[in-house]
Amino acid sequence: MPKITIDGKTAEVAKGTTVLEAAQQLGVYVPRYCYHPKLPISGNCRMCLVEVEKSPKLLTACSTEAADGMVVRTDTDKVKTARRDVLEYLLINHPLDCPICDQAGECGLQDYYMEYSRAKSRFPNEDKVRRQKRRALGPHLVLDNERCILCTRCVRFCSEVTKTSELEVMGRGDRSYIDLKEGKALDNGYTLNLADICPVGAWTSRDFRFKQRVWFLKKTPTVCLGCATGCLVEAHHNKNTIYRLSPRPNAETNTWLCDRGRMTYKSVSAGDRLVKGIVKNGLIELEPALREAAARLDEARDAAAVLGSPWLSVEDNSALALLARALKTENYSFDFSAEQGIKDGILINKDPAPNTAGARQVKAAAGGLSFSDFAKRAASGRIKLIVAEARAAAALKDELKAGGAALVVFAVNRGEVPEGAQTTLPYASYFETQGTFVNYQGFSRRTRPSVEPPEGVRPLWAMLTSLASYSGLSLGLNSGDDAIRGIKK
Amino acid sequence: MISVKKVDNKPLGPLERIYLLEVARGLAVTMRHFFANFFNRKGMPTIQFPEQPSPLPGNANLRTRHRLKIRADGSPKCVACFMCQTACPAYCIHIEAAEYPENPAEKYPAVFDIDLSRCVVCGMCVEACPEDAIAMDTRELPGGVEARSELLLVKSALLRNLPGEPSLKGAANRLANEYLKAGGEK
Repeated sequence: MPKITIDGKTAEVAKGTTVLEAAQQLGVYVPRYCYHPKLPISGNCRMCLVEVEKSPKLLTACSTEAADGMVVRTDTDKVKTARRDVLEYLLINHPLDCPICDQAGECGLQDYYMEYSRAKSRFPNEDKVRRQKRRALGPHLVLDNERCILCTRCVRFCSEVTKTSELEVMGRGDRSYIDLKEGKALDNGYTLNLADICPVGAWTSRDFRFKQRVWFLKKTPTVCLGCATGCLVEAHHNKNTIYRLSPRPNAETNTWLCDRGRMTYKSVSAGDRLVKGIVKNGLIELEPALREAAARLDEARDAAAVLGSPWLSVEDNSALALLARALKTENYSFDFSAEQGIKDGILINKDPAPNTAGARQVKAAAGGLSFSDFAKRAASGRIKLIVAEARAAAALKDELKAGGAALVVFAVNRGEVPEGAQTTLPYASYFETQGTFVNYQGFSRRTRPSVEPPEGVRPLWAMLTSLASYSGLSLGLNSGDDAIRGIKK
Repeated sequence: MISVKKVDNKPLGPLERIYLLEVARGLAVTMRHFFANFFNRKGMPTIQFPEQPSPLPGNANLRTRHRLKIRADGSPKCVACFMCQTACPAYCIHIEAAEYPENPAEKYPAVFDIDLSRCVVCGMCVEACPEDAIAMDTRELPGGVEARSELLLVKSALLRNLPGEPSLKGAANRLANEYLKAGGEK
């Protein structure tokens, strides 16, 4: 195990650790552009130059392996001058169009300039090398070659992570630029990660483009509900609107985030967002809709059924189980299974529902029919009414047609509602309320509310409580956690 | 540095302590002004603002109502960078950005509102602007309106050039300048 001293701090690091990683472990920050912990080392930006004792020249910390007895300094004048000069070099041809650049505020050039340089430019604006400005590449990105500092993080991401190799550095010397290879399209499903890892404003997101300045955004840690992988994400929002999702890198599940997962926030303010109830096909106010659903529930009573959902949190599934218990019906099911596992070798799961494992936990605590028995009872006509979540109910389409049971569904967006639903009730999406989701690895993860739900719309457990009270039942819930505790009793 | 001034308040004399004499003296000052203005209306310093505009001192460097400068092709110089909105201590600026399909300046404000009822006329927005697009040199004093809504300046009310503008000298935006030189969308 090599022992390395950086700025007077000594530590033993694992063999093969680079100086930059060792510095990170010792709490010394070394500036970097091309280095990324999950990408192969390139060593081209020269920003991480450090002084190593007995070495005649400065060395790049990212590509130098820590050796035993190595003494490194990152605070000498030589290193400071090197950093300033590297920055000056990178900024020679930079267009400085920060006013129209979405990266401004989280830009490596801005941050390091303020930290390490603050030098006036010695190069006239007119002599800068011109390259192609904005150009849409792929379904999600915009490329601005002029802002690029050729760190090749994007090239390495496409060749090492997605293994699709769409990008390449074209040209030579000061005419180099990043471009698509001939005959390729930038649509590998993970492209928005390029906008994240790009240290400057060369790659920016088309979806986020000009929507909001990044320094206005507040960040709420939450979970992606795009599939059973359950990536940790951060919702960036301002004034009750979510603007983008970005990954929270963690060792267990994800460093990156797929494009589809990043777009899941759109359902919150989509045009078909439900804020009122629907009876048959007409929109009505929330309370009358709840009363209508309760009346149907009263008619059916012990012929009523409750179906859980792998799209709902553990809390909301538990609340559904408590409703079944209060109705004294044995027609309820939380039995969901789907093939789990990473489909594409990166992040996307075979199971599109985020909480299949969580629904199974509810089944373990509350019991219930198997899904096939439930479907048989629905088809035979023994069940007169089903209370369910929209996407789970959609799986019973044929059985409902055969058995003729009425359907009371909960939905966030109108697009989820299956055909023939008798009453539809809205509920707060998981960007607006908290919920526990169990991912394919068995990790329990909690979403956190980043925005307020539309007026009157409450979390599903609260909507169920109102529905139950309208038909004279009490679920005794004051929070989602009450529901989890309730089913264990 | 804070300077402290000590005021030496003399104790009241016996005549002052009766107050009646002091009241009469105070009223005498009021009445003197009343009669002086009553018989000499023209000498009165009061003006009927806002109907009667107040003349501003000639070359004074004043901060007055805002305006947004216009480029030679009629587009706003503003690129919606949100610097003024960020700098504004009164939160009176509201911008929504949009994208040009053709113009390489790329970004422009689709909405640019200044709520003058909130504005504290500090001039931070002018200081912060990297494009020299916002100015407070219209020499109009805001205020004196009958409805609050009249104090909300929208983009169309803000866009205005002074005589002699637009001048291309010293314009900050390279892309917009090149576009103008090339003849715009022709």
